[in-house]
Amino acid sequence: MSKMLILEEIRKTYGSLVAVDDVSLDIEPGEFVCFLGPSGCGKTTILRMITGFETLTSGNIVYDEKIINDVIPQKREFGIVFQSYALFPNMTVNENIAFGLKMRKMPQDLIDERVIEMLKLIDLTGWEGHYPSQLSGGQQQRVALGRSLAIKPNILLLDEPLSALDAKIRVRLRTVIKKLQQELGITLIYVTHDQEEALSLADRVVIMRDGQIRQVGSPWEIYKEPKTSFIAEFVGTSNFISGTKKDGKVKFGQLEFTVLNLDDVEGENVHLAVRPENVELVDVTISSEHCVSSNVVEVVAEVITFLGAVVRIAFFLEGETTIIDISEKDFEKMGLKRGGKIKVYFPPDAFHVYTELFKKLV
Amino acid sequence: MNKTQNENSIIEQYQISSARMEFDKFIVPTVTIFIGLLLCFFMLFPLWSILTMSFFKGGEFSLLNFTLQNFHKYFTTAHTLNALWHSLYVSFATTIIVTIIIFFFAYAMTRTTISGKPFFRNIIMMPLVAPSIVQALALIYLFGRNGVITAHFLHTDWNIYGATGIIISEVLYCLPHAFVILYTTLSAVDIRLDEAAESLGATPFKVFTRITLPSAKYGIFSAAALTFNLTITDFGNPVVIGADYNVLATEIYAQVTNLYRFDLGATISIILLVPSLMAFMLNYYISRKTFAMISGAAKPVIPPSRPLKKISYTIYCWLVSFSIILIFATVILGSFVKIWPYDWSLTFQHYKFPSIGGYSAIWTSFWISMIVGVGGAFITLVAGYIMETRKPYFKQLIYLLSVMPAAIPGLVMGLGYILAFNKPYYIFYGTPWIIVICIIICNFTLGILSSISNLRNIDPSIEEASISLGGDTIRTFFKIIFPLSRVAFFQNFVYFFMRSMTTISAVIFLVSATVHLAAIEIIMLDNDGWTASANAMCTCIIVLVLIMLGLLQIVQKKTGKSSAGLA
Repeated sequence: MSKMLILEEIRKTYGSLVAVDDVSLDIEPGEFVCFLGPSGCGKTTILRMITGFETLTSGNIVYDEKIINDVIPQKREFGIVFQSYALFPNMTVNENIAFGLKMRKMPQDLIDERVIEMLKLIDLTGWEGHYPSQLSGGQQQRVALGRSLAIKPNILLLDEPLSALDAKIRVRLRTVIKKLQQELGITLIYVTHDQEEALSLADRVVIMRDGQIRQVGSPWEIYKEPKTSFIAEFVGTSNFISGTKKDGKVKFGQLEFTVLNLDDVEGENVHLAVRPENVELVDVTISSEHCVSSNVVEVVAEVITFLGAVVRIAFFLEGETTIIDISEKDFEKMGLKRGGKIKVYFPPDAFHVYTELFKKLV
Repeated sequence: MNKTQNENSIIEQYQISSARMEFDKFIVPTVTIFIGLLLCFFMLFPLWSILTMSFFKGGEFSLLNFTLQNFHKYFTTAHTLNALWHSLYVSFATTIIVTIIIFFFAYAMTRTTISGKPFFRNIIMMPLVAPSIVQALALIYLFGRNGVITAHFLHTDWNIYGATGIIISEVLYCLPHAFVILYTTLSAVDIRLDEAAESLGATPFKVFTRITLPSAKYGIFSAAALTFNLTITDFGNPVVIGADYNVLATEIYAQVTNLYRFDLGATISIILLVPSLMAFMLNYYISRKTFAMISGAAKPVIPPSRPLKKISYTIYCWLVSFSIILIFATVILGSFVKIWPYDWSLTFQHYKFPSIGGYSAIWTSFWISMIVGVGGAFITLVAGYIMETRKPYFKQLIYLLSVMPAAIPGLVMGLGYILAFNKPYYIFYGTPWIIVICIIICNFTLGILSSISNLRNIDPSIEEASISLGGDTIRTFFKIIFPLSRVAFFQNFVYFFMRSMTTISAVIFLVSATVHLAAIEIIMLDNDGWTASANAMCTCIIVLVLIMLGLLQIVQKKTGKSSAGLA
């Protein structure tokens, strides 16, 4: 059964470059943890340190109350799934899955039994004689999953396992992974740069940037309460409004917004983040009598983008491009055309207030 | 629930063996040390022996014994000093001629739309399948004292022996080596540059001098440096066609074999080592730049060449190919003709070899080459694997040792082996095994470089997947890396086999009264006046090498990989 994994101020430097900067985290048995961050944030390095492929510059990795810094990868009993699948091209599906068991000198009849069980688990029964090159990308990644699970790993680590796949298959495999993890109750550490993947899969999401953890929390917390403006931008989409504090309001050009919890923030200059779906349309999604009048603005719809279930409307707010998302149903009711006038409402509690604005990732 | 618990306990019974993993920790250091020691003992030690032999009295290393007497003697004796000037003259001349010929040949292969390119490419590679003596043998048959062209066609007294003969035979020998480099360079340089220049109004001549030539300059220098190195270190051609015109390589042989002056032989080896080392370093330095220039961008189709250009390049390529075909045809025909050039009736009598070696020499060469092929390909693959994927300590040092053999002329290495290992306690001395080792070491560089470049094509995650599943170094290598490298392994095998069958200089000092090799027999037969049998011996080697290359083609086709060419 899975045991507790603890990262204690682990650090990795390459020369003067700090790849991982004193990261600490407790991972509970059976937990699904996602490391999420832009490329180069150190998430893969952390995964590789847990697997034992990278040494630590300082800090400890503790598993089952034992420091495992110097345990070789072979003895850690962690399963790994790679972005490139990394199936052995010279072996059949069967042989790939059996590889780890063969390394353990398991008798052939037990291996056969286990392979059949794994094939059933990854839903590839009947494909055992095929070579990896004869399988689709999604099938290959399922074989890779089966191969790493066959040895009953203590922890399963996945390094961007779905990045190389088509969008549709990606979503389908996501469900497969989630179901497997719940059925087997295994600790699962998942590295990705895809926020949708992280939010939909994980029990806990770890947001990383520049080698440091920026926020840890449930997908819900991360989305609803992003701790920094970077996270507000990186996870989901946010509009940013930079203004100055004045009499409990935020002055932004000609506008003065009423903002909740403004007093929690120090300093004159503030940056407000507001998610497009939290902006309301007066008399469409909200009736005007519920609105704080200072936060209602009349604007011109510049660009209308149909995204399926939602429709995105872009407009200029004091010269800054701002977007709101409304449901396709509401949009249809309005009969809005490009260049049409709309009244948008920014609820005072929809804002997240930050003192610093992240440097935009281009 | 009960069932899964049961399963857990079953699987947990089977763990990765700790003893095996403890053992595994020693594999990488052991192999690293082994490769390091191998190269130190069989490359540095012989070189060291040559150094001490040339710089110390009686070859005894001590400060008191230090002497420059050998070098003084060398530089004050007109005969030996001439060898240096001769070598430099021949090598520079060959280098210039080869570079010019092959540049236009490679240009025709990469930048024109002439037909028959695959044919031309195969022909230009032909010289690799024969010992570097075939050119001299053929030229003597054609232009020698009794040459079919000189004596019987033109009735002239002029003959080809001496500097002219050496230069022509070396040119014909070096073509494929230079071709590989310039072909790679010219196909890598983006042809769209030429088109862009042309579209801006540059004349074809200007495009050629301002765009094509400069963009290929590293390749040109690299090909020139390699040609220089090959020519100055070659022994087979000058010993047959040089007559009284001595070069450094033949002088080393003469000093050691005829005069038993090992000290002077060693001294001349040092003198030969200097220019060949310089050419090698230049080549090494330049080829790094060449590869930096190669872009992965897709190449557009070559625009159709103008008719005049097409015709002249076709004639040109035919002329070059014809000279190579002529060489091989002459040698093969010469081995079947009764008395060249008087009695043209065909006969097999030259294949009844009059020397002691005869067919047993071919057999010895064959099985030695098989061992060299398998051993060389295997050692370089293992060494490449350990160095490239396991990153041991002292990786850079081992890498440096691995590229050194390419800089050392085979003749020098062979002499070093005599000086170093001619002691009763080196039981392998005088056996075929010293020959096997010497050939492997002499060709170690290319073997390991091609192994490494092949291993780089294998996704590193595959290696890590194996490790994470409990795979140790040995099982990962044999179950995954080796099967994935089998085509490259076979290519390397054929390379080592070919080198072993055709090398003369590396083994000429190592054959003994009991160990005869086919390539050396050619020289012996020719020396004793059995020239037709020398041709026959040459033909046998060519046939064996061609069979092996044919097998390589079949293997590559079966595995669906396109031919990587001879080199």
